[in-house]
Amino acid sequence: MTVVETPDLSVLVEQYAGDLYKRAFFKVSDSEMAKDLVQDTFMAAAEKISTFKGESTPKTWLFSILNNKIIDYYRAKVVRPYHYNTQSFSNFFTEEGDWRPEKKPGNWNEDEGHLLDDAEFNVTLKMCLDALPAKWSLSIKLKYLMEKESEEICQELGVSTTNFWQIMHRAKLQLRDCLDSNWHRKI
Amino acid sequence: MKKLMHILFLSCLKATELIEKKIYFKLSIREIWQLKVHKSMCQACTNYEKQSYLIEKAISHMENIQSDKIEIDVESFKKSILGKLKQ
Repeated sequence: MTVVETPDLSVLVEQYAGDLYKRAFFKVSDSEMAKDLVQDTFMAAAEKISTFKGESTPKTWLFSILNNKIIDYYRAKVVRPYHYNTQSFSNFFTEEGDWRPEKKPGNWNEDEGHLLDDAEFNVTLKMCLDALPAKWSLSIKLKYLMEKESEEICQELGVSTTNFWQIMHRAKLQLRDCLDSNWHRKI
Repeated sequence: MKKLMHILFLSCLKATELIEKKIYFKLSIREIWQLKVHKSMCQACTNYEKQSYLIEKAISHMENIQSDKIEIDVESFKKSILGKLKQ
């Protein structure tokens, strides 16, 4: 039988606090909140450290605690009921469902591979994501940043699957429009 | 006439909705076909679909690039955590 050495927390703080902060900041876009989440992570780790079995590395263990903290944070932000109506599409479409002339997607003429690594594009994207109303960005964040399955997100938000893609539709329209005017039109 | 076209081959509102639905769920045969015909007649929705996929990719790609940015004093942050842990 191998004896698992209990990791020394202060060493873990020294080694991983920075990385944990980066992850938390990326996911919540708020420095103070990110710091709190990392702090909570270490507090939870301190309580649980005796049960650490060494089945994963201390790093993986800490990140999984952090991840749960982030999910709790988002869960607390979910406001029910989740309002959704077709009215909110009127910025983009006429009553008949045609694109409003000024909102018609044009061609971006962009090389995709280049774009994904373009720093300015990514900064704009992040800005546009943060600018989305909380209820829409929440579903996007759960989807991509938490790598959750669609069904799981529906459960978490308490919405039907139909409602879910309609929310994503609305969010995507807004996001595309924001990128179009803040990034695309600049070049 | 326009109404009939919308019923048969979707309005742009409905077409973009299906484009988003397709990312998460399976479309029915009828929906696939309607969307296909709609796009063949509508450049705006064709552009929308391309850009929508691009945004999907960009969001999942973003984390890899942004993670080296850090805007806080890490050393004092570590100290404050260590302080809290000792309490």
